[in-house]
Amino acid sequence: MEATIEVTGLRKRFGPAVALDGMSFTVLPGRITGFVGPNGAGKSTTMRVILGLDAADEGKALIGGRPYRSLRHPLRHVGSLLDAAALQPSRTARNHLLWLAHSQGLGAKRVDEVVGQAGLETAIRRKAGGYSLGMRQRLGIAAALLGDPPVLMLDEPFNGMDPEGIVWMRGFLRSLAAQGRAVLVSSHLMGELQDTADQLVVVGRGKVIADTSVADLIATASGDRVTLRTTERTPAMTVLARVGATVAATGPATLTVSGLPAERVVALLGESGVPFSEVAAHRASLEEAYMELTRGAVEFRAATAEETAR
Amino acid sequence: MTTTTPYRSETRLARDGFAQLLRAEWTKFRTVRGWVIGMVVAALVTVLVGILGPVGSSFSCSGPNGQSCGSHTPPLGPDGEAVTDSLFLVHQPLAGDGSITVRVTSLTGRYLDAPGAPAGRGLQPWSKAGIMFKESTTRGSAYAAVMVTGANGVRMQHNYTGDTAGLPGEVSSTTPRWLRLTRSGDTITGYESADGTKWSVVGTVNLAGLPSTVEAGLFAASPGYTVTTESFGSASGSGGDTLATALFDHADLQGTKPRGTWTGDDIGGQGGGNSPVTGFQQSGDSFTVSGTGDIAPVVASRGSLSKTIENGLVGAFAGLIAIIVVATTFLTSEYRRGLIRTTLAASPRRGRVLAAKAVVIGSAAFVTGLVTAAIAVPIVEKLERDKGLYVFPVSAMTELRVVAGTGALLAVAAILALAVGTVLRRSAGAATVVIVAIVLPYVFAVASVLPSGASQWLLRLTPAAGFAILQSMPEYPQVAAAYTPADGYFPLGPWGGFAVLCGYAALALVLATFVLRRRDV
Amino acid sequence: MRPWWTSTAEALHVEWTKLRTTTGTIWLLFAVVALTVALSAASAAAVTCAGPGCDRDPAKVSLAGITVGQAAVAMLAVLAVSGEYSTGMIRVTFAAMPRRTTVLAAKAAVVSGLVLVAGTVAVLASVLAGLLILPGNGFTAENGYEALSLADGPVLRAAAGSVLYLVLIGLLSLGVAAVVRDAAAAIGIVLGLLYLFPIVASVVSDPEWYRRFQQIGPMSAGLAVQATVNLGSQPLDPWEGLGILAIWAAGALLAGGALLRLRDA
Repeated sequence: MEATIEVTGLRKRFGPAVALDGMSFTVLPGRITGFVGPNGAGKSTTMRVILGLDAADEGKALIGGRPYRSLRHPLRHVGSLLDAAALQPSRTARNHLLWLAHSQGLGAKRVDEVVGQAGLETAIRRKAGGYSLGMRQRLGIAAALLGDPPVLMLDEPFNGMDPEGIVWMRGFLRSLAAQGRAVLVSSHLMGELQDTADQLVVVGRGKVIADTSVADLIATASGDRVTLRTTERTPAMTVLARVGATVAATGPATLTVSGLPAERVVALLGESGVPFSEVAAHRASLEEAYMELTRGAVEFRAATAEETAR
Repeated sequence: MTTTTPYRSETRLARDGFAQLLRAEWTKFRTVRGWVIGMVVAALVTVLVGILGPVGSSFSCSGPNGQSCGSHTPPLGPDGEAVTDSLFLVHQPLAGDGSITVRVTSLTGRYLDAPGAPAGRGLQPWSKAGIMFKESTTRGSAYAAVMVTGANGVRMQHNYTGDTAGLPGEVSSTTPRWLRLTRSGDTITGYESADGTKWSVVGTVNLAGLPSTVEAGLFAASPGYTVTTESFGSASGSGGDTLATALFDHADLQGTKPRGTWTGDDIGGQGGGNSPVTGFQQSGDSFTVSGTGDIAPVVASRGSLSKTIENGLVGAFAGLIAIIVVATTFLTSEYRRGLIRTTLAASPRRGRVLAAKAVVIGSAAFVTGLVTAAIAVPIVEKLERDKGLYVFPVSAMTELRVVAGTGALLAVAAILALAVGTVLRRSAGAATVVIVAIVLPYVFAVASVLPSGASQWLLRLTPAAGFAILQSMPEYPQVAAAYTPADGYFPLGPWGGFAVLCGYAALALVLATFVLRRRDV
Repeated sequence: MRPWWTSTAEALHVEWTKLRTTTGTIWLLFAVVALTVALSAASAAAVTCAGPGCDRDPAKVSLAGITVGQAAVAMLAVLAVSGEYSTGMIRVTFAAMPRRTTVLAAKAAVVSGLVLVAGTVAVLASVLAGLLILPGNGFTAENGYEALSLADGPVLRAAAGSVLYLVLIGLLSLGVAAVVRDAAAAIGIVLGLLYLFPIVASVVSDPEWYRRFQQIGPMSAGLAVQATVNLGSQPLDPWEGLGILAIWAAGALLAGGALLRLRDA
């Protein structure tokens, strides 16, 4: 079975609100795919449809080519973390994993293995109700790994984690992808995915806005812009504008220049005797690239409507 | 873009089966301490409430007539059930096969020694007079008889519980009834006739182990009357004895008659044969026989000093409440926490998930009920005996049905609660609905909160009908009694009532499966 | 420091808003009325009086529906507390109003007010149903029954007492819910407590014990307020009975209030 998630043309309404409006994308093995978009863009609904929890009005969601509901040991195919708080508070974390393991025909030995992987050994016999959000995320990761699945699907796994936990989670996800697993990670904060995701599926208003590799996205967003640091902003702008470049002041001592390569900027400023401290090719942050991409696609009305419908 | 080898798990695939789902749900159930405690609470309250019954019961052993406690102990019939065996019998021994024939021309009755007795002629519907073969004059011995009754026509009865109808209608000098009883080995056949020439069989019974010589004779008996005064919160009965007098002629006993003469005995009479009102007069083959009492199984009634075994399970309603709370929460807590998504992602076949939950909660409730009843019934029975109360004997099968029935009642109620919880998704609403539907009608009936007619209907129509499975004493049409739930009798009988509860549970389960399959979670 | 009444008034207003905006509330109040009236009417239709001295209590017959209406009252009151625990909103509530007993008192006041209104409607409709149905079932002047009238002292007491009974059941439930927090468990305890005593009383054969159980049970004692005939033979004086129920309710509220203060939210 191919380790993929294939989503094709999903549509779903909650009453008058459109939650999914032709959502289509594919998650490939060996890569971490970031699933990003503003709150209410349809990320969680898509994940619920993939897991057979919500029924789509139209379209298909397949795991390795098969609909989720036809899977006999689903956790052997997809491990998922939807809501880390979905725990019976009076049950111990270990017993939570134990019933889940039993439902897949697995035993206590497998539970102990995933507890080790998620780094929960010391707290595992405590009641889940006393867990912090970060620990719940780890418990959720452990649950997702129970069936040793080739596909993982995690909804906002960084939520509530401390910086140390975020570093751990990034490394852990990378190692899972390196093993050849397909990993889909949703987030509404691009920063979290900055050094994690290989591929990005950006969604808004229930459909995919962009499906691209992270490297391509940043390159496109960066364009051929140059960042210039100078104390003499006005003369520099005059010199550069004269040769047809577009110059924008982005700070008290910073200019962003488009339309000229860095070497030409250095040469022109040197010829005119304008002092400067730094000239560098501009590299957009993922956050920036994302903002660029979703500008106008952010639909708060849709967001609130979906929230009400849930 | 790099090509990657997709990940392949090393873990061996187990077989996909319902068993692992059951195991998962069982693990879920046993790992929440509150639920396990709930089951223990169910058992404890049931036993404790049961014990309160005998503890809060006391009576004085010497009644107004100076009776001893022993006189509360009724004789046992051939099948082991408690019986009343009081009649006036004019009899003589009959050796081997033979027959007895008689014509009845009159059956009248009157009230005895009762200042508060109602006006009227006093003949009870089940006042009876006729002929019988009886093992001996010992109370509780085997017999077969054909008789005329006050309002139920000709009957053939045997061994206290057996009853077959013959010609309807009252007996009088213009409409006399001829009765005949023949013995051939252990087989006894009863006949009736309106004119003494055309005979028809009323019934044939087999009294295995009947001695070769039996007492053959003519009898009369008349059960006591009761007037039930019912008001909210209590139902009280008053009553007294009645006397039936029958006129027989053409009495004819065929066969070997070792003695050849008739004697009269007031069997089971309180004053023995000295009672001035009972007795017989003979004139050739004509007899006048007056008797009081009844030849019938004893039926239970509340407030009497005789207790049924299910009296020990009166606390089952409290245990049921605890079980219902646990069973609804078993499912609704998953909705409340969103855990239902984890469950259904792990096991996408939702009908099977619900089935597994039902099996787990049903089994847990069944075991709880079984253990509870197995403890409560003997303890309460012992306490009642120690207090000098009489406990009706029941067959081992009946006792088993009552004990296992407690488990079954709790199990089906738990499944109903689970299903209602699935549909409503809220624990408070589901628990209230199920408790009110199952327990409230029972409270109405047992505690006489509602008039008995209304509560009888509630016990037919609501899931509370299931409490009938605890009923240990059967209802007998040939014994006139109140047969109210408070006395231990349910309108639908043990299995009929239980079937109503099962019907509700099945319906709720079907609805729950339908809803769960269709719903986004 | 602000005067205490300001915060109390605020708490009242907050609890009123919360309960008013919960969708279940209006349905439960409707259920209180519908269940009470339906069972009262059914009871009145089921009871007949054959002749003089049939020893029935027409007021009690007409108000029998209270026994089922109280379940909806119990649920309303339990949800007012447990609903907040199940959603975690109780932390928000206590953060906004650190005086927890004031919160409980405000909840009690709001629940009482709502039950008072619904109960009055239910009781008046039940009496009306009895007034229309009972004369057809033999409750006539020839058999010694006058038509039900609220101008009649005992009948008025039975009707008003029944409303108060529902209010007290609400308070009892509120207290129990504050103690056990879980909604289903609270419902189970309240209903178990109500049903326990009548059932136990029915199985004891010692009249002294019977009286005692009838006297201390919250339901059997509280419903004594409905008696209008044979007052001498009742286990309890009507108002005394309601007093017993009030003691139960006060005890539950005190226990709930104390635990709210002592326990972490």
